[in-house]
Amino acid sequence: MNLRRTTIIAALLVLALYGGLIISLGWFLKLSTLHGMLTSVRTLFSIQLSLIAATVAAFLAILLAVPAAYALSRYRFRGREVVDTILEFPIIVSPAALGAILLIFFNNPLGEWIQAHGVRFVFTFAGVVLAQFITILGVAVRLLKTSFDEVPLELETVARSLGATPRRAFFTVTLPLARRGLLAAFILAWAKALGEFGATIMVAGTMAMRTETLPIAIFMRLAGADIEGTVALILVLVATGLGALSLSRWLLGKVAHA
Amino acid sequence: MLEVESLSASAGAFRLRNIDLMVAEGECHAVLGPSGSGKSTLLNAVLGILPPQHGRIRLDGADITHEPIECRGLGYLPQQIGLFPHLTVRDNVTYSARARGLPVAKFKPLMDKLIEATGIGALLPRLPHTLSGGERQRVALVRALTSQPRLVLLDEPFTSLNQSLRRELWWLMRDLQQQQRLTVLLVTHDLTEAYFLANRISVLMDGCIQQAGDKVTVYRQPATRNVAHFLGVNNLWDGIVTGHESGRLTIECPTLGFATSLPAGNKPLLPQTRVVVGILAEHVVLRDAEHPPKSNERLLTGSIRLLDFGPRWLIQFHHAASDLVLELHMNRRTAEHFGLTDKQSDITVGLPDSDLFWMPAD
Repeated sequence: MNLRRTTIIAALLVLALYGGLIISLGWFLKLSTLHGMLTSVRTLFSIQLSLIAATVAAFLAILLAVPAAYALSRYRFRGREVVDTILEFPIIVSPAALGAILLIFFNNPLGEWIQAHGVRFVFTFAGVVLAQFITILGVAVRLLKTSFDEVPLELETVARSLGATPRRAFFTVTLPLARRGLLAAFILAWAKALGEFGATIMVAGTMAMRTETLPIAIFMRLAGADIEGTVALILVLVATGLGALSLSRWLLGKVAHA
Repeated sequence: MLEVESLSASAGAFRLRNIDLMVAEGECHAVLGPSGSGKSTLLNAVLGILPPQHGRIRLDGADITHEPIECRGLGYLPQQIGLFPHLTVRDNVTYSARARGLPVAKFKPLMDKLIEATGIGALLPRLPHTLSGGERQRVALVRALTSQPRLVLLDEPFTSLNQSLRRELWWLMRDLQQQQRLTVLLVTHDLTEAYFLANRISVLMDGCIQQAGDKVTVYRQPATRNVAHFLGVNNLWDGIVTGHESGRLTIECPTLGFATSLPAGNKPLLPQTRVVVGILAEHVVLRDAEHPPKSNERLLTGSIRLLDFGPRWLIQFHHAASDLVLELHMNRRTAEHFGLTDKQSDITVGLPDSDLFWMPAD
């Protein structure tokens, strides 16, 4: 078997694995359950909560990731290697452990003080956002660093030789040239936040109509042995996620040709 | 005017040492050197992206050693051209005005003049990726000059182009430099580019300037064996000073088999000092019945090997009476006139005394 055929079969196998799993949901799918689920207030709340929380978390992550990634890409500073390594922390540590770390933090004096005098995170919407934010921040920085690495430093030097300050060179040359990576990083961070479960359940719990995101709702249904309901919610999550990714591909295509 | 005084700077393990350089106003000065000689390190220090460890850089009398790049008043043309790919040609050209927060109209008269001189008017609405290599160079040139820089830095900007396009851009660059009286610092490894564009040349090797001066002197009188080799001079032989009288040195050259008297210059040398004697390949002349030798020529007889370079021939002369090998350059027409063939023997060459030069032995 030649290389071309072998590799294409491998690629199609990937599709078959994921596609097969999604299609297999059809065995337990009842259209009446799906319709009921889609129109229930609790499900609509979960969808709304998931979309808003993921968007806010992804936005905040990008806001911090842009300057951090730029520094990692352009400057040599003390602690750079450590920062670069810690980006993998959320991947090495399971999301559940990450959530547990957050929960434990809010039980120490500093965490308690923040909860008392600042924002309450445990079992709240803010906790959902924080859990998602912590989970996606590392990957957002990593993706953006790669994007900044791809913008030649020489272009910034030319911009500065033409009179631009470093900040102006960043906003008029580097950032526009990294826009494709910026958009990709936002969308992937958003998609990851949308499906986040482990850290969210640890920090925000499973409170219906308060902190019940779609993944948590799926967990709750399954825990209650409601297979049809679980399938319906999974399909909602899959549709939302795939829809977002398709939109991102379309947008990335537009940005690439802009 | 650019003045670099005792500049030292490091880039990784490489160190640029004690560089002195002066580029007069309206002059094009080429820093010529092989790869890894420190040209880019020097350029980066002048540009302001590499802080020097020692020394001063002055531009028009003002100390800019620690000034940020954007305050130096430079025009920079990098090797990779550096057009902003997301901006149209018009936006690239006007970037400087916008970056400085100045009205584009202020630069318009000069910009229009440069656009006309370089012929890029029709390209203004286009994006850089739709331009040819030569068009991109022109746009980058206009962009660098529009801001009326006090110093233009050229980092081998034409090396990626084909020969004819390069020559076309050299002419353009030379015309612009002379018309606008631009002060230009060019770094390049290309001798032809340096000689075409520059008034003065500094030869940089191993992080040190080995020789600086007007381009004719540097070419005709290389200061060291390394400089000579870099400039393509291979006709070099060891010699020894045997006398010094009336401003002239008598140098015995065993390989050539004769002694010659050459101007001592301002370098006092004691007898028995070891030196190197040389002659440029194009100064070695062929002699036959139709072209008899002149009185000041040393004649050698031997055989030749030919290497056809297209418009020019490289001739390797092997002296019959010794193991001396000489190189001659000759244009095709002259070589054909002599009816030369490869491996031809009984060829006589002349070495005019006036074209021999000497340098201290390393």
